[in-house]
Amino acid sequence: MEIELIEIRDFIALYPPFNILDENALNTLPKKLTIRYFRKGSIFPDLTLDNKNLYIIRTGAVELRNQQEQLVDKLSEGDIFLSKDASDKTSNEIKGVCVEDTLVYLLGFEDLFLLQNEFNDFDRQFNFSVNERLRHAVELSHSADMRDLSAMKLEVSELTDRQPVIVDAVTTIQDAAKLMTNEYVSSILVTNNGKLVGLLTDKDIRTRCVAKGLGYDEPVSSIMSTGLETVLDKTLLSEALLLMTRNKIHHLPVMKDDEAIGILTTSDVVRHLSANPTLIATDIYKANSVDALKKISARLPELQLQLSLSSSTAKHIGEVFSSITDAITCRLIELAEDLYGKAPVEYVWTAGGSQARNEQTSHSDQDNALIISDELQPEDEKYFENLSSFVCDGLDACGYIYCPGEAMASNPLWRQPLKVWVKKFTHWIQSPEPKALMLSSIFFDLRPVYGTFSLFTELQNNVLTQTKNNEFFISHMVGNALTHQPPLGFFKNFVMVQDEKHKNTLDVKHRGVVPIVDIARVIALDNGIKATNTVERLDYALKCNALSVEMHDNLIDALEYIGSLRIRHQAKQIRAGLDADNYLPPEELSGLEKNHLKDSFSIIKTMQHFFESRYPSARIR
Amino acid sequence: MMFDALFGYNYTRRKLLKKTNSTVMQEFLSNPFPDKKDLITNMDIVSIDFETTGLDIAKDKVISIGTVNIGHLAVNLISSSHQLIKTKKQLPESSVVIHQITDTQITDAMSIENALPILLKKLSGKVMLAHNAKIELGFINKMCQELYGSDFIIPVIDTQYLAKRSFERQNKVFKSNELRLFNLRKSYNMPAYKAHNALMDAIATAELFLAMVSKIASNKNACLRDFLP
Repeated sequence: MEIELIEIRDFIALYPPFNILDENALNTLPKKLTIRYFRKGSIFPDLTLDNKNLYIIRTGAVELRNQQEQLVDKLSEGDIFLSKDASDKTSNEIKGVCVEDTLVYLLGFEDLFLLQNEFNDFDRQFNFSVNERLRHAVELSHSADMRDLSAMKLEVSELTDRQPVIVDAVTTIQDAAKLMTNEYVSSILVTNNGKLVGLLTDKDIRTRCVAKGLGYDEPVSSIMSTGLETVLDKTLLSEALLLMTRNKIHHLPVMKDDEAIGILTTSDVVRHLSANPTLIATDIYKANSVDALKKISARLPELQLQLSLSSSTAKHIGEVFSSITDAITCRLIELAEDLYGKAPVEYVWTAGGSQARNEQTSHSDQDNALIISDELQPEDEKYFENLSSFVCDGLDACGYIYCPGEAMASNPLWRQPLKVWVKKFTHWIQSPEPKALMLSSIFFDLRPVYGTFSLFTELQNNVLTQTKNNEFFISHMVGNALTHQPPLGFFKNFVMVQDEKHKNTLDVKHRGVVPIVDIARVIALDNGIKATNTVERLDYALKCNALSVEMHDNLIDALEYIGSLRIRHQAKQIRAGLDADNYLPPEELSGLEKNHLKDSFSIIKTMQHFFESRYPSARIR
Repeated sequence: MMFDALFGYNYTRRKLLKKTNSTVMQEFLSNPFPDKKDLITNMDIVSIDFETTGLDIAKDKVISIGTVNIGHLAVNLISSSHQLIKTKKQLPESSVVIHQITDTQITDAMSIENALPILLKKLSGKVMLAHNAKIELGFINKMCQELYGSDFIIPVIDTQYLAKRSFERQNKVFKSNELRLFNLRKSYNMPAYKAHNALMDAIATAELFLAMVSKIASNKNACLRDFLP
């Protein structure tokens, strides 16, 4: 290649789909391009001239609008646009206008086809439909197998994350100490003719050298530990732990094919065990005070970090955290019962919102309610007030902050006998006022956590009988579900939102997760589905033909993709010592991720249009 | 050049063609240049840029030639070429710094005797585009005189001249600095290319020209005449 075109190559190499091309393909690409300039205000692309070209925006901006003049996309530096073959009558009429002076690189279809033939991943970017691209992305992000997080089944190699530092036996103590300082390690391995002969720790230098007044020029062999116990990379963590405890040792060289690949230390083990969901649950049931529970819940952000590093799915992480919240709730109720005695009448503690849906992350508000038996006597009310306050205060202390909308059992409104609950729901369903609809996201997602579950089942059956095929109520719910619209996509490092100013951050929860959750709830109520989890609701919806296979699969992929980005964003914040939130800055996303997100948004949009057209009265609201 | 203004470049071309004995010049001059009334949209234009050892046409040498073709108002990178030229003169440090060409690279180069016919072949029957074209024109003319004993002629579009004319027509006060390629590109929302070599500058000039054409309200009907001095 002409070395002088490197600048054009380097630009193209930054952006998908070209960023997956190999060196050779990238080097030959610039010569295949032509350059065009579009003045601000001109029609894009210039239909009188070509087409059959792929456009790559070099500088400038282009707005694309559909036949209804609605903005569908805005292209900026690095974005691509595929001009439609003029003979293709099926293509949607999308019109573009340059809103800035725009310089573009064009690649002809013939050259594009050659690249598609040569590179599978490149091909995928163009040939696959929106949903297929997204599915592929979801698969890739989980290509590491879902691991069994039970600590005892873990192999030690999964805990040793760095190569061991190795010195020769003749190295002086001082040189070894310098190396340990530079490498930030507290232990190193010692070899003789490549054979592992010993291990040297900070403690050895302190006790066997400095304290004894031994010269720093002595070889490390004079103070190292010998006769080492070692483990193989495939050794189970449980065995390694046993070996360490039995021999009172803190360091274990990890071997693979006669070569040391790492050192397992007790702190590695402790760090791992403390962030293990099973062990956390065990600790919760052993905790004897709110303070003890508070300490345990302080470990939850680390657990989320570990889970996200182990490439767990967003769905799995949601299940783990919701079950931990369940455990903490149950333990708090038991502690309250220790304090106030057994309940005078039967009741059930129910979780609402994301906990009920098994979709919590480490940072969530509390939503809950108490359904009490109709045998409730006025003099019993004090007991349930005490119980609810104790549990809600305890949850708040554990980081599940009070629900800003007061949707908690400590609020007398949501601590009622079954018959009152039935009346409440009946009222909401028969006159779906805005306030009722606002509460719907909490109280139409309820799940029993502790107590007499049959009280809940009775309420649920009653509610679902009323909502099932209730056109009037459902169309109100659809209208409510449509209030959260996904963004159009990204423009530079901004989030593009229809009819609004661009935003600096993407609210992944309200713009991505909530629209899907809302629609799944509507489908569940419409079809009498008992499940609360969004994926499960969608699965049932498929079974009762409320959703097509395609829409079902697309929604699940979009939910998982958005969820995984949310988890990753939160993991990043946790690692930086920040509180996790749902506001994703676009600069955290790669170009490809932005494209996948855009695909996810368009899937949500399609689904919303579908429901909008099925319940036309929903649109008015 | 005086005849050029009076009778047109094709008149001068025919006159030079009759006079010259050089086959290289005969070949170059035998293709008629486009008419001044021809539409710019269909015109074949060659954007060129020279890197030289200095600006003194009498003493300095061309050290590299970058060219790229424009057709139907698109820059076709497939036509892009960059040719280093052999020079006996030691490269002054300043030009090494500016153009990032070192003496070692120069050894891969072609002699001007071999490179000039290739360049003339590219330009034959076309319109030449350059930023501050008098440098390129001056060097080509001198080399044609030295090697073939003939003057050089071609219709030339000069983006620097066009920018200056535009400022003057708007009665705008401007600094000479504003006429530099880099600054003009910035005013047209174009990327700043970091590399400074003959080809990248030829491409940068070509892009700037496309932008200038687009700013002419009736650009679909614009003729070559509209861009000539």
